Amino acid sequence: MRAAIQALSSSLLVLGLFAGDVEAANKIGVITTTTDLKALTEAIGGELVEVEALARGSQNAHDLEVRPSLMAKVRRADLLVVNGLELDQWVEVVVQGANNPKVIGGAPGRVDASAGILVLEAPKTRVDRSMGDVHPLGNPHYTVDPGMAPATTANILEALARVAPQHRAVFERNRREFLGRLDQAMARWTVALAPFQGAKVIVDHNMWPYFLTRFGLVQAGSIEERPGIPPTPGHITKLIALMKEEKIKVILIVPWGDRKLAERVAQDAGAKTVLVASAVGAVKGANTYVDTIDYNVKALAQALR
Amino acid sequence: MRAFVALTLVLGLLVPAAPAPAQDAEALRREMEQMRKQFEAMQEQYKKTMDSMAERLERVEARPQPAAAAPPVAVQPAPGAPPATGVTAQRPPGSAPSPLDLITPRQPFALYERRGPGQLLFDMGMVSDFVGNLTQRNVQKAEGGTFTGRENRFFPREVEVNLFGRIDPYAEGIIRFEFAQESSDREISATLAEAYLTLLTLPFGTKLSLGQVPVRFGLLSHLHREALPQTDAPNVLTRFFGEEQFRETGAEISWVAPLPFYFEALAGVFNGDNETAFGRGSLRYPLVTGRLRTFFDLEDFGAIELGGSIANGQTPEQLNDQIIGFHTKYKYQPAGWQRALFTIAGEFLYGIRQVNVTDPDAASPVEQKRTRERNGWYAYGEFRPFQHGPLSLWSAGVRYDRTQFPVNPGREWAVEPYLSFMPSEFLRFRVGYKHTERSHRDGVNLNEGSARTVDELFFQTTFFLGAHPSHPF
Repeated sequence: MRAAIQALSSSLLVLGLFAGDVEAANKIGVITTTTDLKALTEAIGGELVEVEALARGSQNAHDLEVRPSLMAKVRRADLLVVNGLELDQWVEVVVQGANNPKVIGGAPGRVDASAGILVLEAPKTRVDRSMGDVHPLGNPHYTVDPGMAPATTANILEALARVAPQHRAVFERNRREFLGRLDQAMARWTVALAPFQGAKVIVDHNMWPYFLTRFGLVQAGSIEERPGIPPTPGHITKLIALMKEEKIKVILIVPWGDRKLAERVAQDAGAKTVLVASAVGAVKGANTYVDTIDYNVKALAQALR
Repeated sequence: MRAFVALTLVLGLLVPAAPAPAQDAEALRREMEQMRKQFEAMQEQYKKTMDSMAERLERVEARPQPAAAAPPVAVQPAPGAPPATGVTAQRPPGSAPSPLDLITPRQPFALYERRGPGQLLFDMGMVSDFVGNLTQRNVQKAEGGTFTGRENRFFPREVEVNLFGRIDPYAEGIIRFEFAQESSDREISATLAEAYLTLLTLPFGTKLSLGQVPVRFGLLSHLHREALPQTDAPNVLTRFFGEEQFRETGAEISWVAPLPFYFEALAGVFNGDNETAFGRGSLRYPLVTGRLRTFFDLEDFGAIELGGSIANGQTPEQLNDQIIGFHTKYKYQPAGWQRALFTIAGEFLYGIRQVNVTDPDAASPVEQKRTRERNGWYAYGEFRPFQHGPLSLWSAGVRYDRTQFPVNPGREWAVEPYLSFMPSEFLRFRVGYKHTERSHRDGVNLNEGSARTVDELFFQTTFFLGAHPSHPF
């Protein structure tokens, strides 16, 4: 018993010393729940931040398995940027296991990037689970819309400035430059999708209302009848009939979606599937935030042509 | 050389800026016309986008804004939020109520009128777990089944009401009430299963829980019963800690190392109320626990958790009992999958327990102190072979466990294949078959029945109301 206690004490001491070195890093350690938020935080923080995302771009950020490795990342964070609107509620379990008071709810190192945005599809009536895994606060996929970046980056900027007020000017300059680049790209994207105003598309998961509204496109239906529940054959039959009737030619699919089912629906309806990037890093070539929107706009324009 | 490069650059910059001599007025006019059209198209697009945004703004302003986790800065009232009711709501926070405030009638339903997301200030979740089992008549007579006294019955194994949330900026609290049928008398008992607060803002990556907590020993002993990977707990855990979850009243401190990989150390001091393993129930001779746990994320090759635990306390006879455990869990989740394709886990327990024994053959029976060294282990594997579609809702697994009885002589082993079906995250059905063989009839020979060989069929229905359950590793 004594030997066991001695071994435990020694190992804790060694780990404690090691911990001191790790904490000595100079950059602001930021953890984001999604890769979109990582890209936006990097754009604002520049060289002053070191950012890691908990979910990979190709993963469904709704429903991530809470691994202790995520807790280890959050343990060392100065700032935690969450998507909010109940997309990434699993992060609460990660924070609980991370023992880092800097990023618990209400702490200065915690920011909800959705604060103050114009939320779409917020239910106006009572919702319950008969509708599937619904989001009672509204659709949480606002980061795929580049038009939301000003609000989102403003939240991130304020949080970074809370953690490192001495660098506020740098963060503000970085944000201005980033939004400038985004404005230029936005003009390009708007022109690219202008010929398809009012075009109808089908999605596999209802995560594109912000993006489609921004560029004047219409979501006519979804393969996923109710969030989190596989679609019924009856729903698929109705969807195919709708696509034929309205001559809908495009189904947007995300990397983590059921591609085989989408392709079967597309084949039956005489349409085609288009793989879109659900987040930065979700597909090859979508390495930055602008690249990701570029990829999606090009893929969509090409499919609708 | 440098001068030549500079000259080339300057010329390169100037030449395109100069009017091209070959460019005639007609070409310029065409280009201007094209640009004008592009400009008009862009103008039109921006107008449409702004109209669309204005429409969205109207829609958003027509309803209360969701309460976002606001940073600690001055917060403006959400646009469109319903007007505050009552005089007190218009008073600056922190100021004393005026005489007018005090005499003005309160709005009795102001809370209801103003209720919105997050305003309850804590969360609620409910879990209902019903279990049915079928077994042999002699096993029922001997009360030797997995669910003692409830053999050949369908019963509420655990109905939980969970209340949890932040107490203040420094702490969070959990209260869990449990309703269950735990014996053959068919009565439903209501118990306070958990009630503890956790201090969140302690230094050096530590966290302290105080109250009635689930003791984090090993892999499964602290889990709520509905969260177990199989319908029942492995026999080794039931034999060493009892059918009840291992929960105690006291304090537990945890430390997470600020390392690139996960390393957690836990230590706890408790009353020692667990009657199966300890039961002294006094802080003068407390139950002391500890656990070390680490985790390695192997990315494309899965993830593995390793841990070791210890619990040291006293029995009601004032004798020492020490249990040491080691556990591991491995999961493989292919890229793009939401759930693990397969999970393999196991745990080994080793107990050193002092007991009083009497030799019945001796002329004058005298109690003697003896030390029992007992061990047991279990291992299970679970497979979920489909990524999408209706078949992705199914998973299957098998568990094997083998244990010695901690005090009396004898051992048992069991094998349990099972099949789970989860139509959604909030509903689960499970069926299983368990075959158990025992070397002795220790504790399972009531009413002259025998339960040395037990075959059981399990049916389990679990549903969740409220918050989305997370998926811990």
